[in-house]
Amino acid sequence: MDESELIRRAQAGNADAFESLLETRYDTLYKFAFKWCGNKSDAEDVAQLACIKLAGSISQFRFESQFSSWLYRLVINCAKDWQKSQARHQGKNIDDIHQTGNEEEKEGHENLANTNPAENRIYLQQILQLLNTMADGFKETALLVHAEGLNHAEAAEVLGVKESTISWRLHEMRKQLQVLGLSSTLNEVRS
Amino acid sequence: MKDDDQKVDDLIDSLKQSAPAADVSAKKRAIALAMAEFDRAKNQASTSTAEIIEKKSFSFQGFLTWCRLRGSNPQSPHRSDTMKMPSKKMFIGGLATASVAVVGLIMLQNPNSPFIDPQPTSLVIEEDYVAPETQASPTVVTEVKGDVQSDEMVVPGIREQIAKADVKRSSSQVVDDSEEVVVAEKPAMTREEFDGRMAELLKEQKSKSSEKKLADQWIRHEAKQKSQVDEIEKELAINNSVEEVVVTSADKTAAKPALASAPQPMVAGVVAPSDISQSKPEEFRDRFEEFKDNSVKAVAEEPVSTFSIDVDTASYSFVRRMLNSGQLPAKDAVRSEELINYFDYHYPLSSGRKTPFTTTVNLLNSPWKKGNKLIHVAIQGYQLPAKEIPQSNLVFLLDVSGSMDEPDKLPLVKQSMGLLLDTLRPDDTISIVVYAGAAGTVLEPTKAKDKSKILAALNNLQAGGSTAGAEGIELAYQLAEANFNPKGVNRILLATDGDFNVGQTDDSALQDLVERKRDKGIFLSVLGFGQGNYQDQMMQTLAQNGNGTAAYIDTLSEAQKVLVTEATSNLFPIAKDVKIQVEFNPNTVSEYRLIGYETRALNREDFSNDKIDAGEIGAGQRVTAIYEITPKGEKGLLEPSRYQASSAASDKQISEYAFVRLRYKLPKEDKSTLVETPVLVKAKESNAAVQSEVKFGVAVAGFAQLLRGGQFMEDFSYDDVIKLAQENKGADEYGYRNEFIQLVRKAKIAK
Repeated sequence: MDESELIRRAQAGNADAFESLLETRYDTLYKFAFKWCGNKSDAEDVAQLACIKLAGSISQFRFESQFSSWLYRLVINCAKDWQKSQARHQGKNIDDIHQTGNEEEKEGHENLANTNPAENRIYLQQILQLLNTMADGFKETALLVHAEGLNHAEAAEVLGVKESTISWRLHEMRKQLQVLGLSSTLNEVRS
Repeated sequence: MKDDDQKVDDLIDSLKQSAPAADVSAKKRAIALAMAEFDRAKNQASTSTAEIIEKKSFSFQGFLTWCRLRGSNPQSPHRSDTMKMPSKKMFIGGLATASVAVVGLIMLQNPNSPFIDPQPTSLVIEEDYVAPETQASPTVVTEVKGDVQSDEMVVPGIREQIAKADVKRSSSQVVDDSEEVVVAEKPAMTREEFDGRMAELLKEQKSKSSEKKLADQWIRHEAKQKSQVDEIEKELAINNSVEEVVVTSADKTAAKPALASAPQPMVAGVVAPSDISQSKPEEFRDRFEEFKDNSVKAVAEEPVSTFSIDVDTASYSFVRRMLNSGQLPAKDAVRSEELINYFDYHYPLSSGRKTPFTTTVNLLNSPWKKGNKLIHVAIQGYQLPAKEIPQSNLVFLLDVSGSMDEPDKLPLVKQSMGLLLDTLRPDDTISIVVYAGAAGTVLEPTKAKDKSKILAALNNLQAGGSTAGAEGIELAYQLAEANFNPKGVNRILLATDGDFNVGQTDDSALQDLVERKRDKGIFLSVLGFGQGNYQDQMMQTLAQNGNGTAAYIDTLSEAQKVLVTEATSNLFPIAKDVKIQVEFNPNTVSEYRLIGYETRALNREDFSNDKIDAGEIGAGQRVTAIYEITPKGEKGLLEPSRYQASSAASDKQISEYAFVRLRYKLPKEDKSTLVETPVLVKAKESNAAVQSEVKFGVAVAGFAQLLRGGQFMEDFSYDDVIKLAQENKGADEYGYRNEFIQLVRKAKIAK
């Protein structure tokens, strides 16, 4: 059964259809959430949130865009809401982020497919932290294009902005990374 | 730099690493929770599409529904449950509120209603100022105003509501897929208006209908709505002078063709697609060119100092803004010469157009270093008499990108332009070009006497979208060229908060364009607005290369100063490429230092080269340059040279400290004229009034240097600045100097 048929059935209230939809899509949701949060437990929270949100809003999907784009948008919104609530509850500071990052590293870096997972993981923490300080919209743009491999037009569709905005954000992000990231944080890591 | 790039690449590449596989138990848990939610949602929602649309799209309705459901039965909140008494109360209350709102709207739509202010606020300025031409045809003017008003008053209110609803929706709910941008064909309504109408109608509907048959009503309403839309279309068609152009992502060129076509009825509203994710810029994005203070030079090694004059004042306003918010400005934001040149010194006036300015040189003791002297070079431009002021062809190039949507940006731009309009003469021409995601002409070249039309166009502007600045500049130049006035002043006034982030973003390419157009006689001035994303360097570059001034407008009173009080200076150049070269006499001066003008330094050989561009002086403008010198025999900062033999000097050679040369070109000429003035050791003192002006300038120079770190200031403090400024405040007609003293006090606290 193809996906759009599943979606239609789920929209009509068929629980089985919805469940199999979740089964197939959960991994993508989770992976994107992981990129957003940079650690496993947070990513699971966000993915769970997204699933619950999906249950309530699946009926609003109108087949006007790709289901995957729509899902991205859903996860981004969930991740942002989640981040906001986290900030409210804990006032997470940079040290916390470092710590969670380090713990994560101990428990599960064998999962990473990269040649140098430890260093990469630290870089991931770094860039996420920097992206969080940038203006709204930069993080999702960076993740969609660099992490998910979407092209600019697709990312523009997901975020509901123009392609040129995507290109500009990426360009601007690079510039800001150069200014921000390299002066302070990277040196710290290297030393 | 290569290394840096590599690091950024590493960082970005780290995003590409694959995420660890999902935990099976977490997945199960998530799916189980989602299924539970799914069941709940299924039960709760009666899955009627009408309900879904209603809930999602309109916050009022959501509110009313919410009231009702809560009232009915919290345990099983089905909308088919019978309504209980408490909820009926709420319902009736809502009904009453809605009817009041409907009555209110009807009142607002009627221009004669006593409920609206007869003039929208920005039109009030116009009311005060009644130009003779306007009086000549009063009937026409009022008619136009009426039209503008009625359209203006209804739409924005609704738009606001809708905007709020939109924002809310996108943050907490799944983004509505139907949010594709609708390209409105010319006479059709914009999407926002359409939504606005819908919301309004639905509210009415809500108050009337019972809870069932919503879907049917929806359809009927759509039909009804269509007829209403038609009515509005008709209105728009009748009101020929007001049209809407929608610049959308889908149709970038929509606004462009207006340029080429024959004079059309004016285009009054440009609505760029609003971009919610375009958010507030971060503080750190104000960008200034880095520069170091001029260092102390030994006269024996480098006896000649050359620089271009600079009449910009942007730095002062920016510094003021920072200090007013209790922060010390960044060092690079403080350009000493711009602070000094901000004030309206009363230097001796020039007599005529042939010699466009007078040069006055004063010598005084340095207040911050004993033994040192200051050479104060004052240039006062010739003030054009009113009848000699040339016609002007102005193109306002306004940034209406999303970032301009702050009270100190677009609204201030509108007010400022309104002010400038008052200073223009009836025959001057104005056009307006805006840029956001795309550039568009909002106002075809229009005579300044047609003021209501210009103001209407200004007032219709709204902020939204990204920033295609380069495209805007090109369009503005096209307009200026199309309407080129060979006898007058052709100038583009760019108002922006900084970014040119789409299209030609390379500074140097833009600079080339501006230079080429300058040589054709179209100048460019820059007005900076807002904070947080201020691209100072870009503005400076553009204005310098466009033979214009860069001013920073932080308040309405600054707009008043730049665009009204000093309009003639900023609009009409009396001399261009003004360069100053000072040669110091090694027999009398051992060291010297130029205060400010770091970003304007020229090479020695550039002085006599007429191809090298330099600053302009506007009518009535004044420019001040201050050198600090250490006379021979006084202790300077540099060690004396051991091997350079001092030759015996003749009488003449010890009677002068320095020799000031100044070159300028008249606006239409290509050959420069040289003016020379010696600085005598026993200089004749200027009269007391001029002395006082000079001292005030020195106080400002001292302040600027303190803000920049004060490395040459010994124990000169902010208190000394205050004292010196207080003593030399003069008449201070506009209060600028008082304000300065306040600023120094603030700097004292802020540090």
